[in-house]
Amino acid sequence: MSPVSVVGVSHLTAPVEIRERFAFAPGEAEVALGRLRGQSDVQEAVLLSTCNRTELYVCPAGHTGVQEAAERVLSEKAGDVVGGTRQYLYQHDGEASVRHLYRVAGGLDSLVLGEAEIQGQVRDAYELAGKSTVTPPLAGPVLHRLFQSALSAGGRIRSTTPIGEGAASVASVAVELARKIFGGLEGRQVMILGAGTTAELVVEALGRDGIRGLVVSNRTYERAQELADRLSGSAVRFDEMPFELARTDILIASTAAPHPLVTRDGFRQARKDSERGALLIIDLAIPRDVEAEVGGEPNVFLYNVDDLHEIMDDNLIKRRSSVPEAEAIVDEYAHDFLHWHGARNVVPVIRSLRGRFDDVRDAELGRLFQKLSHLSPDDRGLVETFSKQLINKLLHDPMKKLKQGAGNGRAAEFIDAVRYLHDLEPGESASTEGLDPGGGDEEDEEAST
Amino acid sequence: MLPLTHAVTLLLYIGSLILWFRSLQSGGRGRGPKIAFGLAVAGVAAHAVALACFTVEYRQLPLNGLAPSLSTVALTIGIGLVATLGLGEGRRVGIVLVPVVILLEVVAVSLGIEPAPAQLDFEGPWFVFHVTLAFAGLGGLAVAFASGLLYLVQLHELNTKRMGRLFQFTPPLVTLDRLGRTGLVAGFITFTLGLVLGWLWTYNFRQSLDATNPKVLWAILSWLIFVSALGVRAGGGVKERRSAFASVVGFSLIVVSYLGFRIVSSQGGFFL
Repeated sequence: MSPVSVVGVSHLTAPVEIRERFAFAPGEAEVALGRLRGQSDVQEAVLLSTCNRTELYVCPAGHTGVQEAAERVLSEKAGDVVGGTRQYLYQHDGEASVRHLYRVAGGLDSLVLGEAEIQGQVRDAYELAGKSTVTPPLAGPVLHRLFQSALSAGGRIRSTTPIGEGAASVASVAVELARKIFGGLEGRQVMILGAGTTAELVVEALGRDGIRGLVVSNRTYERAQELADRLSGSAVRFDEMPFELARTDILIASTAAPHPLVTRDGFRQARKDSERGALLIIDLAIPRDVEAEVGGEPNVFLYNVDDLHEIMDDNLIKRRSSVPEAEAIVDEYAHDFLHWHGARNVVPVIRSLRGRFDDVRDAELGRLFQKLSHLSPDDRGLVETFSKQLINKLLHDPMKKLKQGAGNGRAAEFIDAVRYLHDLEPGESASTEGLDPGGGDEEDEEAST
Repeated sequence: MLPLTHAVTLLLYIGSLILWFRSLQSGGRGRGPKIAFGLAVAGVAAHAVALACFTVEYRQLPLNGLAPSLSTVALTIGIGLVATLGLGEGRRVGIVLVPVVILLEVVAVSLGIEPAPAQLDFEGPWFVFHVTLAFAGLGGLAVAFASGLLYLVQLHELNTKRMGRLFQFTPPLVTLDRLGRTGLVAGFITFTLGLVLGWLWTYNFRQSLDATNPKVLWAILSWLIFVSALGVRAGGGVKERRSAFASVVGFSLIVVSYLGFRIVSSQGGFFL
């Protein structure tokens, strides 16, 4: 039986205006998953909803009804979409779905390769399902194991490969530079020149914690005021910019001015009496807002768009070079999970088989003790122990091989063979609910006693 | 017991150094820097035990004689590294300090860590405070040297606009500048106090200061280097870069002048 299915939409299959229609708030997710389970054969479900993807992991897989129900949940959320929602949805089943989650958690499927945020989002999705008040829990034994190992795989990919190394967006490069120059942003003064959205994104990425002040300056004062209000800063008129420059630590420039607004002479004039330390200038404008010569001034770190892109390109090359190593980790974790799941399927058959052997043993012992009625209770105990050990030893190797074979993807074949050979009825199988195949080692332990 | 404790000390320091370089290769990712720092701290603890064993065995502090003194200087620099414990990435100065400590300790061990063959007339608490404070001053300057060196490396990375593993590993400029300034100021204060104690003893018991004594000359030169390194922070411009440069040059000058004085003077088995 295939362990898990995933149905979803991501940045690879849909533009943002479509993706945002599939996005679930945490409260909505719980309701939708509860309803999904109530109306279908789905036993376990976890919903991962981020700005770049919405994915519904369901278990058991392999049932058409289950996949259709999962698709229905997503499509209902998206509502009416021109051409239908199906064109944007993808679906993976079995091993592909397992590998997909590991790749997602490791940042291999992210818009920015190796980004770290997805790891936390996968954890949140899993915890939301785990904490749900719906009973039984939305994340049962299979998805619990799958998400735990996905988080572990993601962590290992990030800690042992350089996939998350180096900043890979303008905003994160700016943050990294600020961190390496100032240590932190506590007590720093930030000025935005221009009211463009890129500068706003950089400021958002910098985070507002600890920043002493944020000032926005723009030729159109009203636009500066608007952006300042959004960012909880203050606006200054354009002619006041040089005064502000004197006390600025981080300058983010992104105006549409046709010529440089900060010239070397103007800069020197503005900062001549300044006792302040380093100044980081991120010039995102084309044409540039800050003269290149300003970068040669003492304690000034000037980065223009080309510098930032060069840094990002270098970092992305390094990240891409680590993909094969990361994929190998995904393979290893997928193999382990599938082995666990396969072994899990044979636990009921093992129990049935052991029950059958125990029944035979009990019957034969009963007959034997009738014939050997002179045996003392101690001798009877010895015979009984011997019979148990004999059964354990006889069953040890077949059960071990059965679990190994099942872990290698031949569970159904092996289960059928054992049932046929020992004439076990399918109904004889005990419920697998809550069983861990790792616990199946009890047979091994008993056999070795 | 004594050789064993020094061997353990060196092993821990070398283990720490290997981990520092591995952390550098990974851009400071993961727990590498923490483990490297932890091993260095363990090395410092073992080093302290080794020198305590020396004190017990020879009934004197390891401040007299070339090898014990070098080992004590190494320990002082190690303590300087331990003092960066609360500085986060600032602890990464260990990548510079640990090799210095290893070098001093290797020289000390190869010379044989034993007391000087002859006794000094300058001894007792005066001597202990004088030497301890002077060594603490050198420890402070060593921390400033390590911070200054990494500051210049990080500055180079920022100016060449590279964000490679060296950039990732090296601490922020502000952290390095603060650490360098603290090391320099603390070192200057303790070194000055050490010299004042030495001068007071000489004035009281010998009534004159032998200006041709290499030890006196080296002490005065070192003190002037301290003053110069602190002086470059005054005035305008990029004082952080000047200070980093001065700390690196100052520490190097002190080491070079020490080696020079040792070569040209007859030391009689003493530190200088």
